Amino acid sequence: MPDVISQNMPFLLQGLVTTLRIAALTAIGGTLLGLAVGVAVQLRLPFVAGLLRVYIEFVRGTPLLVMLFICYFALPALMGLHVTAEQATVLGFVLFIAAYIAEDVRSGLRSIGSGLVRAALATGLTRLQSLRLIIVPLALRRIIPALFNQYVRLLKFTSVASVIGVQEFTGSAMLVNARVFAPVSILIFVALTYLILCLLLSSVGRVLHAYLAA
Amino acid sequence: MWLPGQGRSRFGFTVNYQFDWEPILESRALILEGLATTILLSLCALALASIIGVIVGTLASSRHKGARLGAAAIVELTRNIPLLIHMYIWYVGLAFLRLPPFLCGVLGLSVYSGAYVAEIVRAGIASVPDGQNKAALATGLTRLQALLLVVYPQALRIVAPSLGNVFSQLIKDSSLASAIAVMELTYQASAIEGQTFRTFEIYITICALYLLLVSAVTLALRLLAGPRDDAPAQELASA
Repeated sequence: MPDVISQNMPFLLQGLVTTLRIAALTAIGGTLLGLAVGVAVQLRLPFVAGLLRVYIEFVRGTPLLVMLFICYFALPALMGLHVTAEQATVLGFVLFIAAYIAEDVRSGLRSIGSGLVRAALATGLTRLQSLRLIIVPLALRRIIPALFNQYVRLLKFTSVASVIGVQEFTGSAMLVNARVFAPVSILIFVALTYLILCLLLSSVGRVLHAYLAA
Repeated sequence: MWLPGQGRSRFGFTVNYQFDWEPILESRALILEGLATTILLSLCALALASIIGVIVGTLASSRHKGARLGAAAIVELTRNIPLLIHMYIWYVGLAFLRLPPFLCGVLGLSVYSGAYVAEIVRAGIASVPDGQNKAALATGLTRLQALLLVVYPQALRIVAPSLGNVFSQLIKDSSLASAIAVMELTYQASAIEGQTFRTFEIYITICALYLLLVSAVTLALRLLAGPRDDAPAQELASA
């Protein structure tokens, strides 16, 4: 390992921890929000479903960077709040990825046959119970590959947070580069780290899918 | 920490933002310039990504194991590295080449998206029945002719929706080129925001423009691919 990397390792690791923290927080938040939105839209809840469809279409047509700008600059200005870059990042990522996860959840729900729904209701479960106990768990199991795709995207996207000044992995690496100027070794190190993390994450998804979908 | 603004309500904040679209209208020249750069950037990257994707995707469906492994390695290597890093590699890592930012943006964007296109091309080729290729070869077409005239056109119709997804993703991803000083839509929006402080108005404006671009590409691809073949849907309905 080049000296530049080993000498700055503590600083880079600190950035990596921030990256992982943001990714984990937003994966959890995005999944919960996406699940709620997906179920609400698929059940055609009156009034809410229409609004949520607009939200999904808006987010899916907006670049992530613009989403971050909105959360960091526009929303605080609109509401007279102050947020740190990291809070804005987490909010932006959750709002962003939840729209995509909601679409995955909907496709998972659609894949559940109507016979299963009727069978669940026939056993005497209420609609909410059959949703919570039978349909949503089955749907989630089917969309594990799609979900992990989104998590990998999220992990890669965390690098964008450096643009609004969050010192995550990419941000701290570029800071190190600005000080010592060794772009080639630093960028190779950064790229390889992301590569390994993403490959690890997608293999976790594959294992989980094979284990649960059997 | 959430700090309340002036005039704190019981929710901890109040909406006292005055909308003013005048500055946005005044800086329309900059916005249009940015839009043109975004379109040009996306078109160049789209063309290059398609070329990379078709080559790598065809290699991935080759009969030779070495070609398949090589293609898989290229796809995994490029797809699992963040786009921003791709751009920094061309702009910062290979700074000695002194490529202009626009070219760095195009290269980063197309290498990254090319991997996604390759996966779609591979799936598209796999979805065309093998008999089609064999029949084409039996009629005396060369390998290349069979691919170009028989396999690719059928594959394109099947993968058109996924291709549309990747292309609209590419347009949105082009906003990251602002991080390496390409003066595209997002870059101009930040610049205008810095001058006028009309934060909300400018970002809503460019959101609408991105939405317009993405819809245009999706629609164009749908027209290009022709009407969807409804046979599978009908089969499902009658089953």
